[in-house]
Amino acid sequence: MLSIFAETKGCLYMQITRLVKSVVSRTTLAIGDGANDVGMLQEADIGVGISGVEGMRAVMASDFAIAQFRFLERLLLVHGHWCYRRISMMICYFFYKNITFGFTLFWFEAYTSFSGQPAYNDWYMSSYNVFFTSLPVIALGVFDHDVSARLCMKYPLLYQEGVQNLLFNWVLILGWMFNGLLSSIIIYLLTANSITGQAFRKDGQVADYSILGVTMYTCVVWTVNCQMALSINYFTWIQHLFIWGSIALWYIFLVVYGSIPSTLSTTAYKVLVEACAPSILYWLTTLLVISALLPLLSYRAFQIRFRPMEHDRIQIQRRRSESLERDVAQSRLSESSETRNSSDLPAEVRIRIDSLKASSRRKNS
Amino acid sequence: MSETNSDRQRRGDRESAFYLFTQQRLPACKPVLTPPWVITIYFLVGFIFVPVGLFTLRASHSVVEIEERYDIECVPSQFRNDKVSYIQDDSVPKNCSLLFKVDKYMKAPIYIYYQLENYYQNHRRYVRSRSDQQLLHGRNFHGTSYCQPLESSNNRPIVPCGLIAWSLFNDTFTFIRGKALLKVNRTNIAWKSDRDHKFGKNVYPFNFQNGTWIGGGKLNPRIPLSNQEDLIVWMRISALPSFRKLYGRIEEDLDVGDYVVVQLMNDYNTYSFGGKKKLVLSTSNWLGGKNDFLGLAYVFVGSSSLTVAIVFMLLHLRSQR
Repeated sequence: MLSIFAETKGCLYMQITRLVKSVVSRTTLAIGDGANDVGMLQEADIGVGISGVEGMRAVMASDFAIAQFRFLERLLLVHGHWCYRRISMMICYFFYKNITFGFTLFWFEAYTSFSGQPAYNDWYMSSYNVFFTSLPVIALGVFDHDVSARLCMKYPLLYQEGVQNLLFNWVLILGWMFNGLLSSIIIYLLTANSITGQAFRKDGQVADYSILGVTMYTCVVWTVNCQMALSINYFTWIQHLFIWGSIALWYIFLVVYGSIPSTLSTTAYKVLVEACAPSILYWLTTLLVISALLPLLSYRAFQIRFRPMEHDRIQIQRRRSESLERDVAQSRLSESSETRNSSDLPAEVRIRIDSLKASSRRKNS
Repeated sequence: MSETNSDRQRRGDRESAFYLFTQQRLPACKPVLTPPWVITIYFLVGFIFVPVGLFTLRASHSVVEIEERYDIECVPSQFRNDKVSYIQDDSVPKNCSLLFKVDKYMKAPIYIYYQLENYYQNHRRYVRSRSDQQLLHGRNFHGTSYCQPLESSNNRPIVPCGLIAWSLFNDTFTFIRGKALLKVNRTNIAWKSDRDHKFGKNVYPFNFQNGTWIGGGKLNPRIPLSNQEDLIVWMRISALPSFRKLYGRIEEDLDVGDYVVVQLMNDYNTYSFGGKKKLVLSTSNWLGGKNDFLGLAYVFVGSSSLTVAIVFMLLHLRSQR
């Protein structure tokens, strides 16, 4: 519902907004540029101020500020959609990664007669949310796009995903939590059953508490970061740096922390350098962690193929049109070279070229 | 219309790295999970995991392991109903002998482990009951409050303090093959970093196991802690309630049909809490000891991945028609 008012007194704007909010009970957005709009901007759920001719007072009272009225379209369709998706994904992912981490601790407790002994060294636990899993979430929350700006403007229907709350409903939240639970079970069972009493290296040494802790924690860090890599659709150098960098940071941390004198590093003293790295079993167990990613991968694969959401459909469409453009560009290059013959092109491409030529002829005539 | 200087500058700004970053127009890779990619990934996982799993299983099967439980058998029949009083009675002789039959050729070095079950070395009170500073610096270090109640006895400090050291495992084993004694190498069984950096070279046991309650083995007060390898191995906390610890190494090969007689002293009390004691002889290879789980897990994950790939491919082709 859209209401437009002009050249009215400020207090009247505010009262109308209040009336609309109470009657319609939906999220309201108000846009204005003058001092008389300030009341309305603050009353509405979202206030958008336009900076310009009538001064900065509207901008100072608003939640979002834009320079011209026509930018409202971009604000809603592009940034609104992106922010909705980013925030909902970020919250779901936060639950997921902490549930995965916390439940591995819980399953371990069952084997310590619930005495409260954590599976990991204290410093590992403190730095989990700070060093090893925080940067990828920031990359998701600040930089992720599922659909590019141009396509967001071209398909305004995508905005309905936010209106209908398709990306942040209870089903999705509980689904991510369940994924966390499943990942933690897989990680715990695989690690605790691979590294049991038997020797874990060629020199006959057995794995102790610190080695099981390091192996399980390594699996958690890999799983959680690779789930992030599977969930985002947009890889710039920033995402690559943050995701793979966080995993690398864990190994670097182990080396650095392990070289501090043992009175400070207690169970982590030289654990990677001396104990784990030479053990092939350690690396094989870490590789097996891929199995914790397969449930989400399967779910996404089946969902995108058989029940795609709006943004999935747009991505697939864009993929197809990109490959079509590439084929056309290639065929144009080959047409310009005299040695090539158009009958060398595959039939599909020829049909597409013909249809494009026909539509461009229609446009020119 | 030709470009003016300001247009050119604006275009240059538009392509600068900072502008691309703030306008979120960085060059990006946008992967989409299309069916060909999904099928490829699943087949790749399957074709890598199944061979790795089979290879690991083969390695695990090539390890030879002999295990014997001895805590029940070694109790004489008259004490079978009251094992706790048997183990606590010093006048009853505790020697016992076990017979190991070698079924497959075992190549040196053969590792000797003692295995304890239902023993929660990972209980929080137990894990904290030690003083790393005291192990490194000796009895002059006074911050040993975590070792309570085994911090001092008769008003003198205990070195090494705490429950972990106090409960030191003290069964001993000698191995005889035929008529000859098998030489067991009991050095270098602890981690090098422990020997060099966690246990002091100038720290000697003091006032150890002198109280009314004896928890385990005694220590020779003339050997510094860094050479007390049994203690060092024992103090490395195990992860799970069922664990093995390295006792020593046999540096000779054992042939098929060999009989190894083990003369052991059954001193350690696991009867008070229903624990089990076992003796294990095992070879090792590049993977370590005998554990089929990893190989089976790889094969299982690989084959389910292949199954999912085939199912997905069939569903995809069927719904395309």
